[in-house]
Amino acid sequence: MLARVANNLFWMGRYIERSEHIARYLNVNYFSSLDAPNKLSQSRQFVLQSMLYMVGDQTEDLSVELNEEDVLYKIGLDIDTSYSIINNIKHARENANSARDLISTELYESINKFYHFGLNYPVGSFVKNGLYDFTVNITEITAVLRGKIRGTLLHNEVYALIMMGMNIERATQITRIINAKYNDALKAQGSYGDKFSKSFEWTTLLKCTESYDMMRRLYKKTPTSISTLEFLILNPNCPRSVMNCLNQVYAHILILDTSKHYNKNSTAFLVGKTRSEYRYKHIEEIEDNIQSFIENILNSLGQISQKMEMEYFNH
Amino acid sequence: MLEHSFNLAACIKPMSLEYFITYKAENHYESMVNDAHWQFLIIPEHNINQEFITVDFKNSIDAYNEHSINGYGFKTIRVQPKSKFKHITFEASFKLIKNNVNPFDFEPNSDIAIDYQKVMELDFKVDFEPFLRQTHYTSIPTETKTLFSFDTHKSIFENLQALNQWVFEKIYYAPEVTDVYTTLDQIIKHRQGVCQDFTHLFCALARQNHIPARYISGYLHQGNGYFGDSQMHAWAEAYIPNLGWIGFDPTNNILANNSHIKVAHGKDYNDCSPLRGVVYASGSNETKHSVLVSHQQQQ
Amino acid sequence: MGKAEHPIFSFYNKNPDLYDEIYTKGGDIKEVYQKLFDIYGGHSIKEFADLNKKARASFFNQGITFQVYGEKESHEKIFPFDLFPRIIDANEWDIIERGSIQRSKALNLFLWDVYHEKKIIKQGIVPLDLISSSNNYLHQMMDLDPPGGIYNHISGTDVIKHTDGKFYVLEDNIRCPSGVSYVICNRTALKRALFGVFNHYQTHTVTNYAENLLDLLETVKPKGVDNPVCVVITPGMFNSAFYEHSYLAKTMGVELVEGKDLFVENDFVYMKTIRGPLKVDVIYRRVDDLFIDPLEFKPNSSLGVPGLFAAYKKGNVTLANAPGTGVADDKAVYTYMPQIIKYYLDEEPILSNVHTYHCSRPDELKYVLEHVHELVVKPVDEAGGYGISIGNRLTKNEIEKVKKQIKENPRKYVAQPIMSLSVHPTYIDESESFEQRHIDLRTFTVLGKDKEFVLKGGLTRVALEKGNLVVNSSQGGGSKDTWVLKK
Repeated sequence: MLARVANNLFWMGRYIERSEHIARYLNVNYFSSLDAPNKLSQSRQFVLQSMLYMVGDQTEDLSVELNEEDVLYKIGLDIDTSYSIINNIKHARENANSARDLISTELYESINKFYHFGLNYPVGSFVKNGLYDFTVNITEITAVLRGKIRGTLLHNEVYALIMMGMNIERATQITRIINAKYNDALKAQGSYGDKFSKSFEWTTLLKCTESYDMMRRLYKKTPTSISTLEFLILNPNCPRSVMNCLNQVYAHILILDTSKHYNKNSTAFLVGKTRSEYRYKHIEEIEDNIQSFIENILNSLGQISQKMEMEYFNH
Repeated sequence: MLEHSFNLAACIKPMSLEYFITYKAENHYESMVNDAHWQFLIIPEHNINQEFITVDFKNSIDAYNEHSINGYGFKTIRVQPKSKFKHITFEASFKLIKNNVNPFDFEPNSDIAIDYQKVMELDFKVDFEPFLRQTHYTSIPTETKTLFSFDTHKSIFENLQALNQWVFEKIYYAPEVTDVYTTLDQIIKHRQGVCQDFTHLFCALARQNHIPARYISGYLHQGNGYFGDSQMHAWAEAYIPNLGWIGFDPTNNILANNSHIKVAHGKDYNDCSPLRGVVYASGSNETKHSVLVSHQQQQ
Repeated sequence: MGKAEHPIFSFYNKNPDLYDEIYTKGGDIKEVYQKLFDIYGGHSIKEFADLNKKARASFFNQGITFQVYGEKESHEKIFPFDLFPRIIDANEWDIIERGSIQRSKALNLFLWDVYHEKKIIKQGIVPLDLISSSNNYLHQMMDLDPPGGIYNHISGTDVIKHTDGKFYVLEDNIRCPSGVSYVICNRTALKRALFGVFNHYQTHTVTNYAENLLDLLETVKPKGVDNPVCVVITPGMFNSAFYEHSYLAKTMGVELVEGKDLFVENDFVYMKTIRGPLKVDVIYRRVDDLFIDPLEFKPNSSLGVPGLFAAYKKGNVTLANAPGTGVADDKAVYTYMPQIIKYYLDEEPILSNVHTYHCSRPDELKYVLEHVHELVVKPVDEAGGYGISIGNRLTKNEIEKVKKQIKENPRKYVAQPIMSLSVHPTYIDESESFEQRHIDLRTFTVLGKDKEFVLKGGLTRVALEKGNLVVNSSQGGGSKDTWVLKK
């Protein structure tokens, strides 16, 4: 397979995944804030700031009044904002276009529809009353795309590359969301006697990652900081957990790397090493210093991505 | 931009000369270049007058120098570095033996008319089509009146000599007035130029008079006070029935001789440019001239 | 009852001056169309329009689109089509197929000759001018022997039917003819929407194009290669024909590469894969001649591969089509096709040429200038229908403008009588009914070493604007599925 096309497939996976997480974050935060138990979590400014924080565009000066429609437009449909959902969709399709001869007609058609859905979505109604409809559609279309990727592609290198992109991106986004909600939980603590560990924000976090129901089934208790982080980071059976993503990345790099020899400079080696590290971590280690954990995991993911670039995309 | 200069020294041997040519090009970029391709058309042609050619080509970043043949059958060197760089120099040294040439050593055809008939024959025109066509650099603006017409009472050779002189007198040698993009309409208007412009004008007018003419790129030994600079030289070859290709250097109003070392020929400069390159670089490029003084070696 | 509830052909107006593909002169349905007419006739306009709409939406969703570049922005369009197919019976097709092969072979021999001995010119059969004033004649190709002796591996021949019922060739496209992907897409769309109609006809398949193309490309592999690696090279996804490039690569099962995916080392061509360099042997190129190698041709082009031509010249890689084929799809060469066919094949042309006036000849120039209003004037070296003016559709001012252009550069223009292309019922959205529209047919011929293939179908192009004769997609043309019937 061409190195350039491999790179495009990898990034197609990443952009599809990324658009989904941003969309769900907007949706869940916005709508759960409407009847949140405390005043700060209900505050519109608090929610808008959290949204910008998640996409990495946090405002330095928190006293500046944010305009809801502006923020929603910026993150949702503004083609001049690099991180907007619409740009992620565009990039996903561009990457699919250049790998069009390698992916199935069915997958391409779905990506193409995804693109036209985003492109034709009326801006006016999106910022006024379309947030729910738009974001739900995005998350549903991405679920369809995932199905098409799994169901209409040979499970070979093409598939492995897309899956690597998706899982690296998912781990990255989950970590970013944890970071954003952790930050919100810190800010929201204390008001009305909420404790950090029992913050309402943990429920929101689980919903943002579509893991609330799974978590409730497993723990049968109201989520706390520890149980939530344990579930989202370390539980290999939660399909959204960082651990699960690393397992997936490892499984797929083995499709690409067929060498039987031990090579400490390979991507496969690095993925395996990172995976083992998290496999034998326990939550108390992480809870002590969440901030540095987040930095570390983002670093590790970045390194894997760079390694892949060196080994496979850069010939 | 890439500048190239060369230095050429000759030492006289009976009947033949041994030449040493060094060609140097130097290039600086503001930011790292990670994709570049160059093709040099600078190796002296092997022909009956130029023999025992040795080639030594180096670049400063140890990139692979690939020897190849271009579309017109001339030897080239391609360099496509695989590592990043900001600065690169190329240095070529050639050695060759130039056999003593007497440009006047031929018997002119006694019946002049036969030659003029020959050049008008269809077969002749078909065979020499490339060197009879108007190209980008050899097009004379249609509004310009005929600049030079052959006198058919004289031989083709004599007419070409006259044309050589006419071009020499028409254009003033002036470096840095024209560049590689200058076309003949500008040359005719301003009457200034360098060897390349002299040669294009000569070729255009010879072709207008139905004589095949080709652009020659090569080196000129300047020891004899000839016009030129430390760049590659250009002159022309015209085809005369029964005689073959004869070299004319309109920049110096002489026939090509022992001092002219041919590299390549073509329809015009486009076919012969010594260096073609594709460099993907951002930021500005700095060019440094470097003049290399080489020793004259006595054999 | 509204218009839409009427049967499909209720509002079809037959202009008796035009040659209608489905009606006889007497006004009866032609036999081959009878069954189709019966089936379609049972539906209302609305039913048909709905199906048509769905089929178009499916094209759009599948991204079977091309980019249209406007002055400011570009946008994506589908190549318009309708679900009423054109039928070519076995006898008619036989003429078209043999005629297309004949022309492709003659052009191939012509190309060999003009890049070698140039006998046809020396013998005075065609003028020297055809090469000496052509910008598409590449001197780098002189005396180069392309693998298998093939220059125009893929040719697109544009054929029309005139009011006299005879086929004429309008032009031969042997640079990078496009459109073949639409042939297959149209068939797929029609099969999906109206599968029942195929039960009544024995139609040749069109889906075998890619496999045949790959087979034939493999016959012209470089010497010493057993299992050639073929690729398709595209200028990139912003090219208007990118869909076709990706379609061809996909259906041939080969890589779709861009210039930057390839590199040349020691005069061999390699592609950059995730496992390192892989040697490439045959390149089906959809990049124009002057862009394929910046070290040999246009220096500022980033679409090509530096050093590619040197590798080609050495015989280490095959390019299809060969560089320099453009000299033979010049419209001036077209006018000599009867002589070219006679000279190389010693045959009479199976498909006729349209009479052509050369503006480079003083007497013909005079005639053209006096008759611009009843002639089609074409620039000799433009593709895609650009720069064509059709005399009877021009205003007085426009005629003067055309005359001025011709006078400024007579060599650049040829003129032909206005051929009345045959018409075919075509569904028109605006009027919600079937109307007569002019059509042509582009056939696709593939030449390999001692082997050839003509796609049994081809692209029927439709001039969607009423009375318009220009069918090119870039000029607002549409298309139709084309059925070639088995014997």
